[in-house]
Amino acid sequence: MTVRLDGAVLRLEGSCHLEDAESLTALLQTSGVSLVDLSACQSLHGAVVQALLALGPRVEGIPASPFLRDLLLPALLVKRQAKPSNL
Amino acid sequence: MAQFLVEGRELVAEAARGLSALALRRDDAAAMEACFRALHTLKGSTGLFDLEAMGQLLHAAEDRLAALRDGQASTPGDIDALIEMVDQVDRWFDALERDGRLPADAGSIGQAAAHRIRDAGGAPVMAEEQPAQPSWRIPPDFDGLSGIAIRYVPRPDCYYFGDDPIAITAAIPQVTALRLSARVPWDSSEPYDPFTCNLVIEAVSAAGRAEVEAGFRLVADQVAFAELVPAAQAGSAGGGPARRTLRVDAARLDRLADLADDLVIAKGGLAELAAQAESLPGGHALGQALRLRQARLDRLAGDLHATVGRVRLVPLAPLFARFPRLVRDIARSLGKKAELVVEGGDVEVDKALVDALSDPLLHVLRNALDHGMEEASTRRRAGKAEAGSIRLAARVEGDQVVIEVADDGAGIDAATIRALAVKRGVLTQEDAARLDDVAAIDLIFAPGLSTAAAVTTLSGRGVGMDVVRSAAASLGGRVTVTSAAGRGTQVQFRLPVAMTLIQILVVACGEERYGLPLDAVVETARLAPGRVVPIRAGWAFQLRDQVLPLVGLGELVGTRRAALAESQRVVIAKVRGEPIAFAVDAFVDRLDIALRPMNGLLAHAPGMLGTTLLADGSVLMILDLAELVA
Repeated sequence: MTVRLDGAVLRLEGSCHLEDAESLTALLQTSGVSLVDLSACQSLHGAVVQALLALGPRVEGIPASPFLRDLLLPALLVKRQAKPSNL
Repeated sequence: MAQFLVEGRELVAEAARGLSALALRRDDAAAMEACFRALHTLKGSTGLFDLEAMGQLLHAAEDRLAALRDGQASTPGDIDALIEMVDQVDRWFDALERDGRLPADAGSIGQAAAHRIRDAGGAPVMAEEQPAQPSWRIPPDFDGLSGIAIRYVPRPDCYYFGDDPIAITAAIPQVTALRLSARVPWDSSEPYDPFTCNLVIEAVSAAGRAEVEAGFRLVADQVAFAELVPAAQAGSAGGGPARRTLRVDAARLDRLADLADDLVIAKGGLAELAAQAESLPGGHALGQALRLRQARLDRLAGDLHATVGRVRLVPLAPLFARFPRLVRDIARSLGKKAELVVEGGDVEVDKALVDALSDPLLHVLRNALDHGMEEASTRRRAGKAEAGSIRLAARVEGDQVVIEVADDGAGIDAATIRALAVKRGVLTQEDAARLDDVAAIDLIFAPGLSTAAAVTTLSGRGVGMDVVRSAAASLGGRVTVTSAAGRGTQVQFRLPVAMTLIQILVVACGEERYGLPLDAVVETARLAPGRVVPIRAGWAFQLRDQVLPLVGLGELVGTRRAALAESQRVVIAKVRGEPIAFAVDAFVDRLDIALRPMNGLLAHAPGMLGTTLLADGSVLMILDLAELVA
């Protein structure tokens, strides 16, 4: 289980694969949770990244992987800032 | 056209720099790009001036370089061919500068060189690949980055094929920027489909193009690449907005420098004015106020002077850039092989220095090639590489710039120099025998000594190393030589980085006033009558444990002949290492002045270092004591 609902936070942990995109999408759309924590995340499949982009939850936590930390996370955050506030 | 000559030279130099770097490391992407850009820009400019041959040559070179860049196997000869081509373009610039047009044989040379470049590549290069114009707008976030810009638009069904676009991107080496966006905007009215890929991934990698392409080889149809040009460099090639430099006519700059010098002098008069005001009855407050203002003006004028000095600083690179080709040309004409390694082109020095250094440096390089460098066979026997190596390096040490020309040739044989100096009448046998090796080698700077047994066409133009030494001296510096037999020779210039204020002692001889550079002055003294002894035509006196020669300064400059006064004032100065006393009538002042070299008719007046303007507008002559007593 790499997508885990922990109270008001969705935690992405370990390596998140293609199939996790579906559960993440479902959880974001139905649970009302809009905070995703990436601190224990080791890798993210493109489909998971895409779900984060499309559904726009708040993202927090600093993952250890340099690629995630230095490149992917900033790209996700930039995207959120660029989003109009009504989305 | 004048602008084209200046910029063209710079572009040629840049291309040559890139090629030398490529000769060392074939996969140096930055050098490749720099070279490519320079050639491409230059080719573009040739079209404006109807320089067909040059354009042809550059076009061929660009083709070849593009093929190299795109990973076609390179043969050992191709960089050499490209270097020869760039050299040819540089020679044509010489011709353009001299005659205003290309030489008559330019067309055929251009074609021949173009063929050589094509042949060096093995297979002819087919369709010319223009430098890739990106088919998309590179995001502004990537401005200022360099490397390869990547735009990866995965197929919508890529997830079903097992592609993970993020994993593919993460595997690309040296990614420095990443940007994610949606291929089609998210439509919130439709249910979100997590398995249809809607990503656009844009990234920058600092790795080589081949590496980046390899990373995307399985999805090559979904990726586009573009070379990013850092803004600072784009400016030099295309006049982009990033570059904030301006070409200014050198004459205006010189005028500005002169004005700043004059301001330093003019403000000098204020101090005296303040002193006068203070001594007036009731003028104390006014004097104090004037003094305050004067101090502020002092600082500002000093600042301005320093700033203008910095404006005049230019990098040595454009000067240095011409030498590698000249060294190759000279070496070839001598039937020798030599390579010039240039370091420190980014060192900045006064513009006047750059202009004045060209000939002396070229002369030293010629000497190194002609007299220092052995024939290839001799070098082989000595266990050296056949091609000689000359290092031209500049560095800053304090307020001086040190420029060294070091070769790995045969070195200078002190015994040969001694013998030659005696033979040419520079020294007597006894004097020569007394010299240690260092001093003997230094004789190469003596007038009338040519060190090659056979005077060759190159160095034997009647210009000796003595000219190099006087050039260095006229620039306020000096030049020295060290040599190790069999291992090479090192000529070192030490020159002031910028024109600076020099300190002078102002002395009076009768009505006339003269400035003496303070760095030569050891001390001033008054001689009690009776201490001076006439010796032949002159005088001498004893100072502590030394007997010093005494000469009248007025006499030396030819204004008058005077008897010694009761209490004679003397300036003791070191002239070529020896203390000499100069009789003067009065010590007037100590000043910081901006020295102006003598020009026009007076340029070669012996004994004059230059002039300066005094606060009262009069001109003061600064004496060169060493020349005066020569």
